[in-house]
Amino acid sequence: MGNLLEHMGIERDRVHFSWISSAEATKFVDVVKEISEKVRALGPNKKLVKDYN
Amino acid sequence: MAENNIKIVSFLCNWCSYGAADLAGVSRMEYPADIRVIRIPCSGRMSPKFILSAFREGADAVWVSG
Amino acid sequence: MDTYINKIRELSLKLLKKKEVVKVIGFTKGTLPMATSPIAISLEQDVEKLIFNSTCGLNLANYIRNHKGKIAVIAKGCDSRNIITHIVENQIPREQLHIIGVPCKGMIDKTKVASLFDDDIIEFSEDNDTLLLKSSSKEERLNKQDYLRENCKLCMHKNPVIYDDLVGDLVDEQTLDTPYPDVEQIENMDADTKWQHFDKLTKNCIRCYACRNACPICYCPTCFVDESGPQWVGKGQDKTDVNTFHFLRAFHCAGRCTDCGACVEACPMDINVRDFTRKLNKDSFELFEWEAGLDLTKRPPLDAYSPNDPNDFIK
Repeated sequence: MGNLLEHMGIERDRVHFSWISSAEATKFVDVVKEISEKVRALGPNKKLVKDYN
Repeated sequence: MAENNIKIVSFLCNWCSYGAADLAGVSRMEYPADIRVIRIPCSGRMSPKFILSAFREGADAVWVSG
Repeated sequence: MDTYINKIRELSLKLLKKKEVVKVIGFTKGTLPMATSPIAISLEQDVEKLIFNSTCGLNLANYIRNHKGKIAVIAKGCDSRNIITHIVENQIPREQLHIIGVPCKGMIDKTKVASLFDDDIIEFSEDNDTLLLKSSSKEERLNKQDYLRENCKLCMHKNPVIYDDLVGDLVDEQTLDTPYPDVEQIENMDADTKWQHFDKLTKNCIRCYACRNACPICYCPTCFVDESGPQWVGKGQDKTDVNTFHFLRAFHCAGRCTDCGACVEACPMDINVRDFTRKLNKDSFELFEWEAGLDLTKRPPLDAYSPNDPNDFIK
């Protein structure tokens, strides 16, 4: 899915998949931080956004 | 939308990541407030449609976690 | 081509006479020159209607679902691969099918041919590798190899993969060093250029869904674009809606598409829909060493779990 989005021009780092067990609160926090950093670096998304006006 | 205010739509499995998120909260851990959590009953509930829907409604990123 | 046609008619007649099949699905002459349409034949006297030429670009595997009794179907290389996909996906049992295999010599790009003429083409015929075209103002003799469809140029499975009968000798398969030049070209663009490329590509889309209807693997009883609760995608020609439709349709074809070109063939606006699906074909080949419709015994990659999954998030 990520590959096709990237093919269409949506940056790869905008879609994340991960696997975290319910006991891994630290991993959860780490992953959130990592994703958040990556997405902040990309800035807001303007592609594929539906304009309802 | 301000540059420092991003939205990451997160689809979390009830039994895995949602539990982890809960535990992180109970343990008073700090993490970025950019995620908007949607609880799904199981990662199997996930569909590519959800990801596209999220982007269409203005998400900056999507995170799927089992 | 005439030998193909005669053989197709002969085999169909035999099958219908012996009552081995109730129907033969094949191609018949269309209402316009350079057009053919699918036809299902159940009467012996109708076999004369069956033809086969370089304009049979649609995929007959699309028409084999939901029949009663055994049916025969004419299958080019790509059709046969889609038939395998159908059998693997439990859309039809193998025993219900009699496959008349046609070693394919490529189909022609009708738009490219028509662009040579200012007026309408009124006559089309072919003789081996030469195409003869006539309009009211001029006549053209063309070399078929120069006017092949893009997917036929890159085709590596011209011969039917499964068949019960063959109408001619198997043709030589080509091997390509770079089977996906078009995909690589897009991959080398940066994100914004890619986005503009696809925006431009879908700009003319009128949402007629001809690509979906011509596609043999688009057989969901209710397509996601027709679902209304929730509505995943708007009905209009809004650019986001159009892109969402094409994106998700392509994604549904992941690991199943055989690059038969029926979507492009059916598109009235000449959109190269394959720009979407080809990427997934390349990925399934590179990540899973998978090409759709070659093996009756294997499950498609997105349908099975393997410990060697190339994605790292699952670990």
